[in-house]
Amino acid sequence: MKNFVLLLLFVLPLFVAAQDNWQVPTAEQEKLSPYVFDNDMVKDGEVLYENFCISCHGTVTKNNPIVFVPSPGDPASEKFQSQPDGSIFYKISNGRGGMPSFAPTLEEEEIWSLIGYFRNFNREYVQPEFDYGDEVLSELAMVLSYDPNVDKLVVKVTSNGEPKSGIQVGAAVKGLFGKFILGNVGTNEKGLAWFDVDRNMPGDEEGNLTVQVRAQEGYSIKKAEEKMQLVNPTERTNLIAGRHLWSKAIKAPIWLIVVFNLVISCIWGIIIYIIIGLFRLKKVS
Amino acid sequence: MAKVRNENTVLLSEEKIERDLLSNINWSNKFKIWFGFLTALLVVCLWFYVLQLRKGLGVTGMNDIVSWGIYISNFVFFIAAALIGMLISSVLGMIGYTWIKPISRIAEIIAVAFAMVAGIVIITDMGRPDRLHHVLLYGRIQSPIIWDISVVMTYLMLSLLLLYIPLIPDISLCKEKLTGLPKFQKKLYKVLSLGWAGNEAQYKTIKRYFKILLILIIPVALAIHTVTSWLFAMTLRTGWDSPIFGPYFVSGAFVAGCAAVLIAMYFIQKNYKLQAYITDMHFDRMAKLLVLVSLVYVYFNINEILVPAYKFKPSEVKHIGNLLYGHDSLLFWLVQGGGLIVPFMLLMIPKMRKPLPAMLISVVILVAAWFKRYVIVVPTQLEPYLPIQNVPESFHSYMPTLPEIAITVGTLVMVLMIISVLTKLFPVVPVWEMKEELLEEQHQ
Repeated sequence: MKNFVLLLLFVLPLFVAAQDNWQVPTAEQEKLSPYVFDNDMVKDGEVLYENFCISCHGTVTKNNPIVFVPSPGDPASEKFQSQPDGSIFYKISNGRGGMPSFAPTLEEEEIWSLIGYFRNFNREYVQPEFDYGDEVLSELAMVLSYDPNVDKLVVKVTSNGEPKSGIQVGAAVKGLFGKFILGNVGTNEKGLAWFDVDRNMPGDEEGNLTVQVRAQEGYSIKKAEEKMQLVNPTERTNLIAGRHLWSKAIKAPIWLIVVFNLVISCIWGIIIYIIIGLFRLKKVS
Repeated sequence: MAKVRNENTVLLSEEKIERDLLSNINWSNKFKIWFGFLTALLVVCLWFYVLQLRKGLGVTGMNDIVSWGIYISNFVFFIAAALIGMLISSVLGMIGYTWIKPISRIAEIIAVAFAMVAGIVIITDMGRPDRLHHVLLYGRIQSPIIWDISVVMTYLMLSLLLLYIPLIPDISLCKEKLTGLPKFQKKLYKVLSLGWAGNEAQYKTIKRYFKILLILIIPVALAIHTVTSWLFAMTLRTGWDSPIFGPYFVSGAFVAGCAAVLIAMYFIQKNYKLQAYITDMHFDRMAKLLVLVSLVYVYFNINEILVPAYKFKPSEVKHIGNLLYGHDSLLFWLVQGGGLIVPFMLLMIPKMRKPLPAMLISVVILVAAWFKRYVIVVPTQLEPYLPIQNVPESFHSYMPTLPEIAITVGTLVMVLMIISVLTKLFPVVPVWEMKEELLEEQHQ
């Protein structure tokens, strides 16, 4: 048994070292992203990275992956960045050993957004053009409106003036640190998609929210961002307006000033009365 | 009580009272050596304070996490010890206990000494004491710190007057009877006696003033320690965020104060040969009083610890665990058991209420009372709501440094100096009150 463990100790590193060279089929290496790695793509990739990858690969550029053999590596490292997009896509999708396969978990577009996020750390990277071939990318257009009768956000998708049905439309409200997803629905035959909006969502003083909408048909993506009056106006109250215990000295509550000064002056009044009395003690007889 | 008093007072006469009680007023060699020792000690401690002034609070063990160390613990202890003046002279005096008369001045002297130095202790905790006046210029009236400063000043003034007013007839006596005193001392007596003639109206006036002050000092004394407790309780910190912190502190203050008075009584009785005035009966009663206030304090301690320990709220688990069986448990149990419960149980045995054992037990209680303040102030800061992270390793604990300890010792030395000077400058036992009592007894 002991010998076996020793043998394992010697052999395992060799085995692992051999494994370090991860071969990707040539056809897979040449695969390219049909999506443009724009800011939105990078942002999506960052969120995904923090949910699925950071626990092993560590914070990107910090070179602090978990201590494994072979090392998971930092996505910003030379070793990662020297690979073609297709190789990275293949490795994320299929996995190997400690690296799980993400094909069942993530959409293709999501995997590409992860790669977009990694490439964001490489200044020399220029995204190779994707050959769409015969596929015709339709020019999508969107019109956003609000239907106050049913409290719904209405998105109309058209292409060359014609309403497009069966298009997936996703809508979200933009927040300070993220998005609040309103939904993901397909357009009807009139090219319309409806989203429920809660009138109690916090907006600005006029009830405006920034809505982000995204329509997709194949590789054709159309995004729109619009500030719309969707919710009840928010009344903002200044927390330090008025007199409070937690406010500045000049904004102390009146009752406190009165009670404090009254008590102090009463006691010191008596003290002063007694001191004056003591100085007159000589005359008392 | 009457029996004990009679044993001692039968032999007393007005002349003997005067002779006995004025005998301590001299600058004996013994005193000079004692005072010289204290002065030397203070100079050493002051040197460390100069070091702190030059280098800042970095010379202390305090850090970002524990920003209140032994200075603040010491401050709370001083305020606590200062409270005893109110209990003895005011509460017991007004109830009509006459046995407190010979020791009420000792209690007042202790109160004045501790209250005076408490203000200095706060200054030692300031990194920029040159900006002390900023507290008055820019302080917020909403802050308990401002209330604390106001009430400490008020209490100090009231305690000084409570000490001074019954002293006036005795100062006048000193001026008349004592000879061979240094010139400055004679002048001091002359100024301080305020032209006292000893007539009926004058006695009536000072007795009236004294009574007003006795009443006034009760709320102020309660306020001083309640506000000191609010410095902690007005925060959301685990271990400080407690609605019973006020009475908890006040009851603890009486324990420390009674112990301090018992210790002072012992040394004053022995050194100034006042066995006829400060008798075994006084030790017995003070020790009984100490048992009573200890019991009240134990009651508050049980509430303060058991209630949160039963619930074990997530935010309090670490702090309470630290106290009960963790990092600070040794100190905690030493203070609670060895410094409070065992001593008061011992004091319930009559033999233990004799002067020497009572004094020794009081020393244990007083030392434990100091460490109790440390247990209240420091450990809770090491368990903040937000986790301690990205700080140097040393910030995860607190250990007072040599300069910090020296400066704290310096403040204790100051208290001893004030008590020593006051007990050498004035009669420790009120002469005129003793005479008055003698007359009353003779009438009966």
